[in-house]
Amino acid sequence: MCALVLGISCSDEFLEVPPAGSLGDAQLGTADGIEALLIGTYAALNGVFGNRFEGPNHWITGSIMGGEANKGTDAGDYSTINPIQRYETDPTSGDLNNLWRGRYEGIARANRVLATIAANPDALIAADAARISGEARMLRGHFYFDLQKHFGSIPVFDETVPAEEIILIPNSGNAWAQIEADFQYAYDNLPAVTDAGRVNKWAAAAYMGKAKLFQGKFSEAITWFDDVIANGVTSNGLAYALLDDYSQIYNAENDNHAESVMDVESANNTGSVQNANAFDDLNYPYNTGPDGPGNCCGFFQPSISLANAFRTQANGLPLLDESYNDPANAVDNNFFWVVVDGNDESTFVEDSGPLDPRIDHSIGRIGIPYLDWIDFPGSAWIRSFPYAGPYSPKKYIYYKTQENTFTDGSSWTRGYATMNYTIIRYADVLLMAAEAEIEAGSLAKALDYVNQVRRRAALSEHWVKKSDGSGDNAANYNISEYTAADFASQDAARTAVRFERKLELSGEGHRFFDLVRWGIAAETLNTYLAYEGQFLVTKFGGASFTAGKSELYPIPQAQIDIQGSDVLSQNPGY
Amino acid sequence: MILKSDYHSLKSCAGKINKSSVKFFSLLMGLVCSFALAAPTTSLETVTTIEAFQNDVRGTITDADGIPLPGANVLIKGTSTGVAADFDGNYAIQASAGDVLVFSYTGYNSFEVTVADSTIINVVLEEGLALDEVIVTGYTTESKRETTAAVSIVSAEELAAIPSGNVEQQLAGRVAGVTVITNGQPGTQSQVRVRGYGGFGGNEPLYVVDGVPTQSVAFLSPDDIATTTVLKDAAAASIYGARAANGVIVYTTKQGSRGDRKTRISIDINSGVSDPNVAGSPKMLNPQDMADYTNLAYENNAAANGTPVQYTHPQYGSNAIPTFPDYLHADGQNGVNADQVDLAQIQANYEADPENVFLIRPNLAGTNWYREITRIAPQTRIGLGFDGGNENGRFYIGLSLQSISGILLANEQNRYTARFNSEFDLASWLSIGENLQVTYNSVVGQSGGNGGQGISNDESEVLSAYRMPTIIPVFDDFGSYASTRAAGFNNPRTPVRRLAQDRGDDKNFSVSAFGNLYALIKPFEGFVFKSSIGGSYFNFNSLDYNYRYLGDSEPQASYTFAENSGYGFSWTFTNTITYEKLFANKHKLKLFAGIEAIEGTNTPTTPSKGRIINGSGINPFSTDLDFVTLSAVQSPVVQSFINTGVNFSSLFGQVNYNYDERYYVSAVVRRDGSSVFGENNRYGTFPAFSGAWRIIGESFMDNQNFFQDLKVRVGWGQMGNSNNVAPANQFSLAASALDNTFYPIQGQSSGADEGFATSRIGNPDAKWETSTTFNIGFDATIIDNHLDIEFDWWQKDTEDLLFVVPLAGVTGNFASAPSRNVGKMENRGIDLRVVYKGNFSEDFTFEFAINNTFLKNEVIEFAPGIDFLDVGGQRGINPTRNQVGKPLSSFFGYDVIGYFESDADVASSPSQDGAGTGRFKYRDVDGDGAITPDDRTYIGDPVANYSGGATIDLKYKDIRMEMFWNWSTGLEIFNQSKWFRDFFGTFEGSAKGVAAFKSWTPELGNSAAAPIWESASNISTSGAANSWYVEDGSYARLQRLAFIYSFSDLIKNSNTLSKFEVGISTNNIWTISGYSGLDPVVGGDADVNFGVDVGNYPVTPSYLINVNIGL
Repeated sequence: MCALVLGISCSDEFLEVPPAGSLGDAQLGTADGIEALLIGTYAALNGVFGNRFEGPNHWITGSIMGGEANKGTDAGDYSTINPIQRYETDPTSGDLNNLWRGRYEGIARANRVLATIAANPDALIAADAARISGEARMLRGHFYFDLQKHFGSIPVFDETVPAEEIILIPNSGNAWAQIEADFQYAYDNLPAVTDAGRVNKWAAAAYMGKAKLFQGKFSEAITWFDDVIANGVTSNGLAYALLDDYSQIYNAENDNHAESVMDVESANNTGSVQNANAFDDLNYPYNTGPDGPGNCCGFFQPSISLANAFRTQANGLPLLDESYNDPANAVDNNFFWVVVDGNDESTFVEDSGPLDPRIDHSIGRIGIPYLDWIDFPGSAWIRSFPYAGPYSPKKYIYYKTQENTFTDGSSWTRGYATMNYTIIRYADVLLMAAEAEIEAGSLAKALDYVNQVRRRAALSEHWVKKSDGSGDNAANYNISEYTAADFASQDAARTAVRFERKLELSGEGHRFFDLVRWGIAAETLNTYLAYEGQFLVTKFGGASFTAGKSELYPIPQAQIDIQGSDVLSQNPGY
Repeated sequence: MILKSDYHSLKSCAGKINKSSVKFFSLLMGLVCSFALAAPTTSLETVTTIEAFQNDVRGTITDADGIPLPGANVLIKGTSTGVAADFDGNYAIQASAGDVLVFSYTGYNSFEVTVADSTIINVVLEEGLALDEVIVTGYTTESKRETTAAVSIVSAEELAAIPSGNVEQQLAGRVAGVTVITNGQPGTQSQVRVRGYGGFGGNEPLYVVDGVPTQSVAFLSPDDIATTTVLKDAAAASIYGARAANGVIVYTTKQGSRGDRKTRISIDINSGVSDPNVAGSPKMLNPQDMADYTNLAYENNAAANGTPVQYTHPQYGSNAIPTFPDYLHADGQNGVNADQVDLAQIQANYEADPENVFLIRPNLAGTNWYREITRIAPQTRIGLGFDGGNENGRFYIGLSLQSISGILLANEQNRYTARFNSEFDLASWLSIGENLQVTYNSVVGQSGGNGGQGISNDESEVLSAYRMPTIIPVFDDFGSYASTRAAGFNNPRTPVRRLAQDRGDDKNFSVSAFGNLYALIKPFEGFVFKSSIGGSYFNFNSLDYNYRYLGDSEPQASYTFAENSGYGFSWTFTNTITYEKLFANKHKLKLFAGIEAIEGTNTPTTPSKGRIINGSGINPFSTDLDFVTLSAVQSPVVQSFINTGVNFSSLFGQVNYNYDERYYVSAVVRRDGSSVFGENNRYGTFPAFSGAWRIIGESFMDNQNFFQDLKVRVGWGQMGNSNNVAPANQFSLAASALDNTFYPIQGQSSGADEGFATSRIGNPDAKWETSTTFNIGFDATIIDNHLDIEFDWWQKDTEDLLFVVPLAGVTGNFASAPSRNVGKMENRGIDLRVVYKGNFSEDFTFEFAINNTFLKNEVIEFAPGIDFLDVGGQRGINPTRNQVGKPLSSFFGYDVIGYFESDADVASSPSQDGAGTGRFKYRDVDGDGAITPDDRTYIGDPVANYSGGATIDLKYKDIRMEMFWNWSTGLEIFNQSKWFRDFFGTFEGSAKGVAAFKSWTPELGNSAAAPIWESASNISTSGAANSWYVEDGSYARLQRLAFIYSFSDLIKNSNTLSKFEVGISTNNIWTISGYSGLDPVVGGDADVNFGVDVGNYPVTPSYLINVNIGL
């Protein structure tokens, strides 16, 4: 007010208006501030920009692109996925740009934590400084890993590089050295037991094994996996173990279970459904009314060939010769019944052949109880039957009894659930360890690991039962363990373990990256497209996977536009 | 001041009258003369009453309405002896019989009278011709004759003529150089641009109401406005310095008048209806056609894929000839006939669970959903004005009620305003006054960003009417809303229910106060000191109820409730000094200086200082509106925010000089400081210089008859803009956000822990954008005062444009990037106004006025290494690219050169993803034999090269006809609503348009209106922005056609009645346009992204009755 009448002497003060509702460096350079910045880094695990490609489960880039599922729904809905699922991805895709931005935002947040600790050496006691640094580096390693497996060549830097230099770093290399350094630091500095929502040293160890596996460093991987399998515990102190009931892995009431090595926490009543698996909100059956979960939007429909892969032989083992798609072996479904054969859906007869019991924990099929909802009614819950096929996703779906207790009903669809997505679970560790053993260790150990996984799946009391109360199995389940004879050769064992990953981890975002690192993506996915394209002609007709190109996603054009093509070079073929 | 009076003729309007009836007669004369204004050739002489002979001549100078003209000049002709009237218009001068007194006042025709045998000479000055109109710059006034700048004036009558929620909408087509884009939503804010688009955002003009700057004039009632002045170039606007670059629109509100007289009352009533123009809405396929074309699509799909045809729609049977079921949906069963349905069971189920059981029959006649969501919408505005005063003061009271229903159900605006303006003399040298308005405003059901501007860009309820299949009835057999619970129709939601239910109960209001208090000190002749403190305060509250509804395929599963509330407050303190002096009869000097402080003001991108609190929750125990509060809902979320607004501190001054009213020069400078900038660049200085030569004043013009007035003007100046910068731009900050920095770190399944992340990167070096304008123009009056021409050529180069340079993803870009001074923009144009007035006969007069705006806008530079900026987009269609060398918000995509006519054509053409017979064939722009993203190109822009308005007023005796057209040409619209309507595969099953009839066939070839009717969706069909969506946006609209009758006999015979007019007006009844959408006027909520029509809210015809009464 002093400036008003005559003076301008104090108008400088008048023009100094502090910002509102935000904090500056001073407030954040404290113990509480650093802890809050760390929580902000965790928050980047499930995405920052609200794009579904940012989801940690990579349902599109990992599962759909790996042939486990297709977009589902109809052609017009979220149509920017259409070219992607046909391996016609355009570098201008805004979705991939968001994936890139979301992960680098996570790295920026981790780096801010580390830089703030460095700039405020007295803010934390040594133990906290080590722990928080370890968590931040663990998360940074995870974000880099995600970027590495999607884009191949990425810019890599740590917290010491200022922003004006970061934008000049070319994507000429890979992040493996940084990833390993981060996981090693995390392993060395993190406690085993901490808050359930935090990463611990065993998560770092398991992720380190995975990183080694991705680089083909099999014997080093074995070392890490052996440590994890022998000593690993979850953040809340449970020794790593397989749950008896496969379906309980995906149940919110069972979060932070013994199989959860590293997961992304989800919660309701947080004020935003972004904290409640928002990346999965479309991935429910369609038009279910109150009889089914979510109601929307019919995305992420498991593929016909994935269902077929659950066919077993009479001996309870899968058709490792890939003959499961032969008409004689293919799983009967209502799409064949109605669209191919022209029958009335109401007369559909269930497949009576032998099936791996995990099929009905993984895929919503007509006539089979859909969790504790009704029996899956078939095309009534499918948005566009001819476009996307007969199946609905079934993992990471909430139960009827959990509506509004383990879901967040505050947004436009009911499909915001609070089960944690598990980035690495113990079965995954066992199967990765089996792979490493096959390549550089003991086939017998590999056999043991795979059979641990199959043994759990074979616990018949946890198979899906008919809804009529009879206690009868919902289908003809038949699963058995491999014998030493089945693992007689490295090739046979390798085939069996890879097949087991497909069955055990279907729909969890791993498949595409597995196929690429195994070097079999082109042949596998072109076979898939040829088979699936017979039925889902609008979706897949004429599509193909281009070897040497489609293994990597394109560097987002938007980023090349900002940083310049002299800094960021595009991946081959785009 | 001396006015040349020989350049226009005055003609007697009335003779002498006797003393007793002076008062009434002058009142009446004002009325008559104001009617005659439309016909200036019958120009008026003033009324004088000459009573007796004395040396000391005294009297009062008033306008035609009897309002005193303080400061009016009286001069003895041929001498330098003169006086000015006091606040009450009273003057006294020593004069001898035979002297000629010249009475003059800015904006009025001067008048001469010879002193005879009277001591009292009361003078009524008539409002002047265009060149004498008053320009209120906010701080000072001058006449159009004096100005050296580019300014435009809109009369109150012109403004009030257009019925609309907001006064700024009424500027459309009225001012050369101003473009207004608005939509039909009541209470919506318009995109108003003065001379193009200066920057990448925040291009809204500055509004100044009674001297107080503001960003919106939505609170004003048109009936209260006295003058509207648009300051267009730097010479005029740079007195507002750092906030002037986008032009300044100055409003003054009505004042009372001094003098001992009766308080006058005016009553203005506008009432009528809007017609939603159902007939003009896009045509949709009826149920039979939709079924036929669904099956055709299946056939085309099969042909494209080489597979047998499958007729798989759940409603139309499995044969080539579609059939219709008896029920689209019967409690879970879809597409069933009566014999498959157990009605009794369904009835029982319904009674058990009415929300979840539907029984929907097909409506084979077809539902017109646009008709169902619209209505004939009533609107009314009633204004009541009182003005009066006495020798020591004056007042004006304006009361206004406005109620406008939108054509969409549940959409309405209600606004009540009360204005009180007054001024009183405390001493002969001191007056105090105030202008105060209180406004209650409520807008329910408004959609679109930026106060409704952005609705065309939204997937609005208007769009939903084109997505809802015609076969679905509005209600099912139980009387519930019917919708896409019936299978096969994809995901449209019933817009009728959403409007009626989810919006019907919504409430909101804002109460605002706006005004100022001022003191005028006039210690000696020619010197005025004014001190004003103004302010703006508002608060608001809104309630939003949304109902659980399970009938949509993507249902609303929860009842949700939200409540928002907040306030804002800012003040403006201004002190100015004016000194005006005529030296030696020829040198006129006017000096003006001021100082101003503003705290907490809003800008186009920032709310004013205050706080906002909002909360939401779901599923209260009861949905009784008297029960639901934030305390009664589940999962309540409450958030609040602090706004700082922006502080300004400014010094400014102006020197005006003219010699003999022939040579004019003016210099303006303003220095502004703003809180949005860091201390290094906090202040900006903005100078302007201008000059004018009134050629008509030269002696060599004395002997010509062609020009009655001629003046050339030249101006150069700089103006600033800081709108496109956030208040915290200079700071690097961290913040928490529920949606992306919170995390349940304990592993809990409910609630999350607060985290922080970098929220803003600071740029302490940002400074003002600077626009340098050059303006050259002339004003001429020719053909015996019949024709006025105002012409301006101008160029505006904006440098140091504040642009938010996108952060690279690798650095983390969740944080807001700061505005940096990097871009350049150029605008060039011509403003041309031509007014032709005349009469066919004594009783039959006319006035034609035409305003023309020519504009060329071009982005010159974004930032080093950045040549374009892509913005927005819906459904994977991203049509807008701002690029160097093109206008803002240009359209960008593939250029469609036709459709592939055969597989052979596909094979012989450049390779193109998704290519196929009957699909779009794109131009290989770079000629590399493949259609890639590099082949996307400029395909149009929404910036009108030419726009304007024309008024045609005719008056015959007591009847007036007023016609007003406005138009725009040289622009394009990106009609994205076609994406939803004209492809079968976009949300297959939802409603489709009649483009299906002209979808590609071998016979139609390239004359087809849409690609082949099929399900596929890829870049060769519905998957990319391309030129097929781009339509010519040119239009001409008959915005108003009115007939008005004045009961002049009644007035003449009445002692109380001073005005009585009844009119009927029609608005927007005729639009000439080739555009296929509902309304070719398509806005957007940002300057970098407009002209995309996804679901525009159309401006539709309205019909009104107007009654204007003066007592």
